[in-house]
Order: sequence, then structure tokens, then C-alpha cells
Amino acid sequence: MNPVYLSLAPAILATGVGARAARTSAASALFGIAIVQAGVAITVAFATFGTTRLLGGYLTTDPTARLFLVVLDLVFLGIAGYAWNRARTSPAHRDRVATFARNSLVFMAAANYVALSNHLLASWIALETTTLLAAPLIIREGHPSSLRASFRYFLFSSVGLGIAFLGLLCLAHSRELAGLSSTFFLDELAASPGVVDKWHRIGLALVILGYGTKLGLAPMYSWLPETYDEAPPAVTALLAAVQFNCALVALLRVLQVYRAGSRELVATELLIIGLASMAVSTASIIATRNFVRLIAYASINHGGVIAIGLAIGGTASYGLLLYMVSNAFIKAILFLTAGKIEAHYGTKDTREIAGLIKDLPFSGLFLMVGTFALLGFPPFGSFLGELLILAGLVQAKQIVVFVTFCLFIAMTFVATGRTVFPMIWGEPKRKVEWPRQTVVAAAPKLVLLAALVAMGIYMPPAVNDLFRTVAASLQGTR
Amino acid sequence: MSGIIIALAIVLVLPLFIATWRTSLLGLSLQGAIMAWIVFHHGAHLSVESALEFVDLVLVRTLAAPILLYRVLREKNAPARNDVISPNLLSWTIAFALVLVGFRVADALVPEGDTQMLIAVAASALLLGLLVLATRTGPISQIVGALRIENALAMFELGLRPHHTAIGLRVGQLVIFAATVGFFQFYLRALPSELEAKQVT
Repeated sequence: MNPVYLSLAPAILATGVGARAARTSAASALFGIAIVQAGVAITVAFATFGTTRLLGGYLTTDPTARLFLVVLDLVFLGIAGYAWNRARTSPAHRDRVATFARNSLVFMAAANYVALSNHLLASWIALETTTLLAAPLIIREGHPSSLRASFRYFLFSSVGLGIAFLGLLCLAHSRELAGLSSTFFLDELAASPGVVDKWHRIGLALVILGYGTKLGLAPMYSWLPETYDEAPPAVTALLAAVQFNCALVALLRVLQVYRAGSRELVATELLIIGLASMAVSTASIIATRNFVRLIAYASINHGGVIAIGLAIGGTASYGLLLYMVSNAFIKAILFLTAGKIEAHYGTKDTREIAGLIKDLPFSGLFLMVGTFALLGFPPFGSFLGELLILAGLVQAKQIVVFVTFCLFIAMTFVATGRTVFPMIWGEPKRKVEWPRQTVVAAAPKLVLLAALVAMGIYMPPAVNDLFRTVAASLQGTR
Repeated sequence: MSGIIIALAIVLVLPLFIATWRTSLLGLSLQGAIMAWIVFHHGAHLSVESALEFVDLVLVRTLAAPILLYRVLREKNAPARNDVISPNLLSWTIAFALVLVGFRVADALVPEGDTQMLIAVAASALLLGLLVLATRTGPISQIVGALRIENALAMFELGLRPHHTAIGLRVGQLVIFAATVGFFQFYLRALPSELEAKQVT
């Protein structure tokens, strides 16, 4: 049997893990399955050479699929490790962790399917499935505001994905009008590109708006800070680092086949959405005093940078990929760390927290390193990624966008530093008793951190080749 | 055919001005029924595709979705009045303008005929759904807005007549829509209504 099929196995295992009798060991089972999944993803990515068409053409192992499968499953391993440790140290949370384990396993099977999908409509259905599974996980008992956040998340996701679906219909109709088969299979679409007409343009714009809503891009971003703030940390990490990348893969797939050979197509729309997202996130980062919301706003900012990178294409594509993958790890580290800090101090107010590096050494370290990576400092992959996107803007002679981009980045840098650094290095404001942090507890985040640093310092040739091949498919040239 | 599409446009616009949740749900139900009429009025041969179409348009959109939401609102004793858009001249003007935009878009994209009219109604339905979502904050109105958008997408599907979709994918779409309705029912039951929310704040 091809190991690719194992990536969909968590959906079957979820029933057993979620069973009442297995509740006490659900977290361990989740962690175990996540380890196996990460192993399977690495095997598929580096032991499978070339592109294979599986399951009647509905699955593919092309470079994009292989790269994102590894990213999604590594991030999930970190999240599962966090959940396992939470259940181990706080037995009161075991029931909640068991529910999380069941839903998140089906969620991961759907997420893996999005990465591996060779069919645009099937990928859209899988992305909708992740939304249906994530919405109940956002709700926290005794927190009515989390119910409201879950509703807004579900509402925006449904509408956004509905708009993306309409875009796919328009793209298919454009092909029919040109006398081509209106297939949704990626390899068939790549083999016979359609004609750029009004339906094609409208379809692409709608897909960008629809999937952009899932990415938290302006104008439909308002669900994101509320949801990330209200959801439990593991769920926030799942949404910000796994589902975000699923939506990104779905968008990349559409752009890879429908924008091939015409880089200018929808470039203006992407630039406007990107800059608008950066503008709203920068203003919000300056205004907020809630560190979870700050990371959430930074996530909107990342979405904006990614949209700009997609608009530029060309040589910026390699940087864009580095940026995307780095951010998956950064967001997982930061949201999981934020959960720990909130549990420790009982507040999300940045003015109430100081001296983390003394009080919670591992959390302080992760917040510090995560913030540096978030701000695009060397040696992290996000630094190189951002630099290449900026170089791409200059090469494309988008000087106004370049200047505006730099302005927003500088403002974000100052505002984030002003808020976060006193939390890390200031004098502790109050003494809170807490069991000493162990390396075992920190291990999941250390794994993510290692991957993040590796991307900035040294990437093994096999990994680098994968990045380069995917980047080439995003360059917008045939 | 034109007459039935005009009827679709009427059930789309009228509930915006009769500000009760019962009318809104009736409007959603009639939209589903008219879409079903458009698909089946020539008669349908027995196939899995037409069975799925029947389940989608008749059982889910026309019956299940409005009835499930109706039951929750009756249980909650929701006040009869519910403005789907703000009750003022500006909102009504915007609504009319959006209907005109919908027709202009269809005019620019599709050659004259029934398909153009259906696409025009679908585009208007989509824009009006977005208007509802953008201007109202209460759960009843927002759910009605989201379901209006879902119906608009179904109208687009009818108008664009996409290629043959694999049965598995069609089932997937249907399950997702049915689950979405189920989630909306849950949220409507769990969240405080517009009036309760106002009293809390």
C-alpha cells in the first residue's frame, strides 16, 4: 500500500480515540498518532520521487503536496505534544483533551487531504470539513464569548468558502465557453490551460476573496482576532498554523493552474488586499494590550505579506514559500506559549505581565525567539523570506508598494517590541507559584523551534530542492 | 420560464421589507421551492443525480432549513419583528442599487435570455446576502443572510450548469450544506437573540 493513504488514517482512528472507554489515554494516543503521521509525511515527501496520481486521480504527490504535508504534520506533532503534556499535568482537562483528540484527528485527515488533493472541488470540500470540525472546538465551557467567537468563525468561513466555490464555478464556466472540458483535476487543468476572459478574471478574484477570508485577509478579517483570542491555545494553533496553511494550499493550487503564464492577472487585487491587511493589522497591533490578540493581528499581517508575495511572483516565490512555512512554525510556537502564559498569570493584559524569562524560563525563551522570528530577524527563515519578497517588489518596480510595505513593517516592529519586550525582560510584577518547567513539557515547541531555525541557517539539499520546485510552480510563467 | 424567475426575484426582495423572521424563513423556503421547480418542471428521469438534486433543493433548502430554524425561534419565543436590513431609506436604496448591480453584471456576462435573468437574480441574491451580513449583527439576521448567500450559490449553479460532478463530490457538498444548517440551528439556540443581546449590553 502506498504510504500516502496513511495520511488519511487519522479519520478512522479518531472513533477509537474519542470513545468513552479510551478517554484517559486519548492524549497519549493522539501524540502517538501525530508522531506516526509526521513520520509518514517525511517518508512521502522524501522517499517518493516524482508525482504519483492516486485514488482515481483525486490524490497527488507533486512537490506542493509533499512540502505542505510535512509542514502540516510537523506542526500538528507540536500541537499534539502540547495537548498530551496538558492532559498529563492537569488531569482535570482530560475530558476536554479527549474531545480535542477526536475532532483534531479527523481535522488532520481532512487537512492532509487538502495538501494532497489533485481536485479543486474535493479540496474545497475537505477545507469545509476542517471548518465544521474546528467550530465546536472553539467553544469553552463557561465562556459565552467563545460561543459568539465560534459563531462568527463559522459564519465567515461558510460565506468565504461559499464565495470561493462560486469562483471555482466561474473558472469552470470560462473553460466551457472556450470549448474545453470543465474539469477540476489539477493535472488536466495544467495540461490544457483555459482562455483568460471575463469569467476567468471574476472567478480568480472570487477565489482570492473567498480563500482570503479563511486566511483572515482584509476586508473579511474581523473574525480572526476574536476567534484566536477566545479558542483554547491548542485549537488556536490548529487554526493559525494548520488550517491557515490548508487555505493557502487551496489558493496556491488555483493560482498555479489558472494564473500560469499571466503573472499580471489579479496582481492588483492581491496587492490591494495585501496592503489593506497590513494596514489594519498594524493599526490594531499598535492599539492592543492583549498579547494573544497581538499575535492574531500579526497573523493578519503575515497574510498581507503573503498576498503581496503572490502578487509579485517571479523570483519572490522562493522567499514567499520560506515565509509561509516559517510562519506556520512561528504561529504554533507563539500561540502555544501564549496559552501557557495566560494559564500562569490568569490574564492576557500585557501591562500585567513582566519578567517572563525569570518566572517561566522556557515560555520566556519561546516568546522571545518567536517574537524575533515574527518580526523577521535573522537567522530565521522569515527574515530571508521577507527580504526576497522586498527584492521582488523592487525588481517589479513596485516602489510605492515597497515603501508602504517597509513603513508598515517598521511600525509593526516598534509596536510589537514596545509591548512584548517588557513582558520578557522586565521585573516580575507579582509572584505566582508554578511547578518548574521541564524539558519534556517544552519538547514539542523545541521541535518546532529547531525546524524554524534550520530554515534560516541550513536546509538539507533535498528540502531545498522541494522548496525550489514549488517556488518555480508559483512564478507565474510557463 | 421568465415568469418563474421573476417570482424568484420577488421572494428574494420582498422579505427584506416585511420585517418579520417568519417572512424571512418563508422567503428562504420559497427560494428553494422555486429552484426545485426550475429543475424539475420538465419532469426528471430517475437517477442518482436527480435524487441528490431533490434532496438538496426540496428536502433541505425548502423544508428542513426553514423548519429547523422556525422551531428554534418559536421555542425561544422570539419577537415577531426582525429587520433583515436596517429599516431606513438609505438601506432600502442600497438594496435596490445592489439588485440593479446584479442585473448589470449579468447583462455584461451572459447573452440575453432566461440564463441571463437567472444569473441576474443569483448575483442580486448574493449581493443582498452580503448586505444583510454587513449591516446586521444579530444571529437571526446573520443566519438568514448566510442562507440567502447559500441559496444564491445554488442559483448560480443552476444558471451556469457546471459540468457533470462526480456523485461522491455532490454528496460531499450536500452533507456540508446540511451540516451547515445543523450548526446554524445550534448557534441560534445557544446564542442570545438580538433583543436579549441588547438587554445584556
